[in-house]
Amino acid sequence: MTGETEPLRNQVRIAAPPELVFAYFTDPARVVSWMGVAALLDPRPGGTFRVDVNGRHVVIGEYLELDPPDRVVFTWGYEGPEPFVEPGSTRVEVTLERDGEATLLTLTHHGLAGDARDAHAGGWSHYLARLGPVAAGRPSEPDPWIAGD
Amino acid sequence: MADVFQVLAEPRRRDMLALLTDDERTAGDIARRFDVTRQAVSQHLRILLEAGLIRERREGTRRWYRARPEGLAEVRAYVETMWPTALADLKAAVEHEHESGDDRRN
Repeated sequence: MTGETEPLRNQVRIAAPPELVFAYFTDPARVVSWMGVAALLDPRPGGTFRVDVNGRHVVIGEYLELDPPDRVVFTWGYEGPEPFVEPGSTRVEVTLERDGEATLLTLTHHGLAGDARDAHAGGWSHYLARLGPVAAGRPSEPDPWIAGD
Repeated sequence: MADVFQVLAEPRRRDMLALLTDDERTAGDIARRFDVTRQAVSQHLRILLEAGLIRERREGTRRWYRARPEGLAEVRAYVETMWPTALADLKAAVEHEHESGDDRRN
């Protein structure tokens, strides 16, 4: 009941080299080609990661680690007075593994329950901690979702 | 789904939802636990109801409220599918650029 929710983990195999895939996490024009409508990025440790998802929801975070072309880590939250996810409370970790001519991308989203729990002592934490058991029928740790080529 | 997030963005509503995951309660019982007017509680309950996060049961003149597990499951499903969906778009965008040979590699 009080257990930490497992991080969300997703994998995708992309038929392009890691150098190019990496740019899709640091170059605003490339970021908006797959996520959001506008991006303001300062890709260095401590730099801003801001993506306007749809004109109403804005993801705000901070780059924590950049190790091109292997790894990029940034925090993830939402802007606004009472955000769904508190800025700085969750962490997205992306690793890129060269796989021949392609790249195996692993994205791990940490802290969606644990840190949100700390950030919102009381109801929010209670609510998030219960999501797993309540959403019965779903595995608590889903198999990595791997897109085919 | 975006609307559910707006609903959950209000801390008192999250607290009320949490309270209602354990037990079925009346508005009066809920109001006693929060430092807000009875009217404000009713308003929050109405919003939670409309978002499908709680359900209401009438018994005589009393109304009982309880969390609706399916509502929470939808939120979880959204969070779980957000990245697969985004990554599928990422894959398409990178591969398109790579295939068209205009990636600016150093």
